[in-house]
Amino acid sequence: MTIAAQLRDVSQVFGDFTAVDGINLDIESSKLTTLLGPSGCGKTTTLRMLAGYAQPTSGSILINGKDATRLPPEKRNLGMVFQSYALFPHMTVADNVGYGLKLRKVPAPERRKRVAEALDMVGLGHLADRRPKALSGGQQQRVALARAIAIRPDILLLDEPLSNLDARLRLQMRAEIRRIQQETGLTVVLVTHDQEEALEMSDVMVLMRSGHIMQQGTPQDVFERPANRFVAEFMGYENFFATSEHPQATVRPENLQLLERGATLNSGAHNLPAVITQIAYRGVDVMVRATATDASGTAVDLLAAVRADSGLASGIRLEPGSEITAAIRPADLVPLAN
Amino acid sequence: MSIRLAIPKPTMQKTGGRPVLGTLAVIGYVVMIVPILFVVAAAFSGGDSLQFPPENFSLKWFGAAVSYKPFMSALASSAQLAVLATLLALVIGVPAALALQRSNFAGKGWVQGLFLSPLIVPELVVGLALYQQLIAGLGTSTFTALLVGHTALLIPYAVRVTGAALSLADPFVEEAARGLGAGPFKVFTSVTLPLLRPGIVSAALLSFVTSFNNVPLSLLLQGRNFSTLPVSMLDYVQKSYDPMIAAMSTLILAATIVFAFIAERAVGFATIFGGINK
Repeated sequence: MTIAAQLRDVSQVFGDFTAVDGINLDIESSKLTTLLGPSGCGKTTTLRMLAGYAQPTSGSILINGKDATRLPPEKRNLGMVFQSYALFPHMTVADNVGYGLKLRKVPAPERRKRVAEALDMVGLGHLADRRPKALSGGQQQRVALARAIAIRPDILLLDEPLSNLDARLRLQMRAEIRRIQQETGLTVVLVTHDQEEALEMSDVMVLMRSGHIMQQGTPQDVFERPANRFVAEFMGYENFFATSEHPQATVRPENLQLLERGATLNSGAHNLPAVITQIAYRGVDVMVRATATDASGTAVDLLAAVRADSGLASGIRLEPGSEITAAIRPADLVPLAN
Repeated sequence: MSIRLAIPKPTMQKTGGRPVLGTLAVIGYVVMIVPILFVVAAAFSGGDSLQFPPENFSLKWFGAAVSYKPFMSALASSAQLAVLATLLALVIGVPAALALQRSNFAGKGWVQGLFLSPLIVPELVVGLALYQQLIAGLGTSTFTALLVGHTALLIPYAVRVTGAALSLADPFVEEAARGLGAGPFKVFTSVTLPLLRPGIVSAALLSFVTSFNNVPLSLLLQGRNFSTLPVSMLDYVQKSYDPMIAAMSTLILAATIVFAFIAERAVGFATIFGGINK
């Protein structure tokens, strides 16, 4: 495993607001790393410090093992794609993509070749002579991507690149960015607030909150073993309760078993007495909301997704007021740190 | 069985809507444009007095206007003054617009107000102040005082119009250029300046026309050897009332329309005046 960039004890303070609070992060080469979190968590500030648009208040940034903390953006050789694309409106698509190559004094024939390559990679070779204004949002986004890739950056930085696209295009671009990353072996750092996007695209997910890293790992690590309640909530978990061993634990709605009151799952399972409060039919499954009493005696709200026919199989009535047992197999239980 | 969909009835708003506003707009245009048409028509008169309808058709008063010495020397003075004042206003206004649009600093609102204040302070007051301080106080020439006054008058246009052009641009383009390897100077010449160009062109045209047509400042600051075209025309009207003044007005009007047309093509009035309202 080689490291493309390192952040060491990096902080960014604006007045009395600490946007990033002493984070340490290694960006692995040829991997797609996602900085994920709600707005204000410091993910964009972290990206801007990596790019050189913001100076850390303290700490240091290493790119390819060399100290780059005070290096201006034009000396870093990183390709950045902005949320608004930031294309040069007075230049053609080809000139936009060739801008960085011209500055690198790449001779014209070679430059044309690399511009064409970059545009072909994003499927826009035929629009080279257009102005950005004449392109759709999705096409502008591809131009921005081609422009950043054309300079063969050490790291490609993407700041919420898909948030201005419609839902269908967004799904398409996720796959496309991933394909380009894998084909070129580029190191990519992606900033997003969309957990689904992060899960689908990342090799490494870095979940941030209030300037701190909450959890870092593969999408499976983070999704299946959230470190704490914040991460679990961000990943879409909704059931939070105490068991005899863990003061805080969670379970995915599809793993929550609903049984007749009095029935229990095999040994080691956690059985909570519960009352159904709400039923919502969703086609594939039925969402069942219930209130239960957990091991600490506290009333908790639970959400279960059950197969439409399993209610009958387990002999319970799927209707509000129905008294049941909510059971969790030990393997499905996700203990959380506080 | 027929299926009935709840389609709302189309409202009358689209076709017949806003009769009051429409009527007022038409009246407004008529009030503004019709008197001008009378002047233009009178300019083509073959007779000796300014009247409507004109007595037979002739271009002779245009010939008279362009060969009338005081008008032509005043035209040269006006043009010289307008060009220099425009240049000075741009030199001061464009960097100011850049600073106001692209950075945040303490007292930004105050500075912005300062640059726009000449729009609010009555020109007669500015004129009087300049007369008192520059001509009477420091003994400067009429031309210097006029240049200072006109430049001050034009700065709000320069700041606002270039600012409007800049405010439409994506604020991240300069960062994008730096990320691609351009140093600050290269970013300015290859990205910022091209983005500003249409704004600068429009600001220059509008400034030129504003200075060229200005009366209050020029009236107060004129000297024995230096007067601008509008002031010289005002003098002329007080002495005689023939179609030559209409012909001269028509020529100025034609030139102004050409200027406005170029400004509109370069940036667009919606941009220019949208920027002023921002």
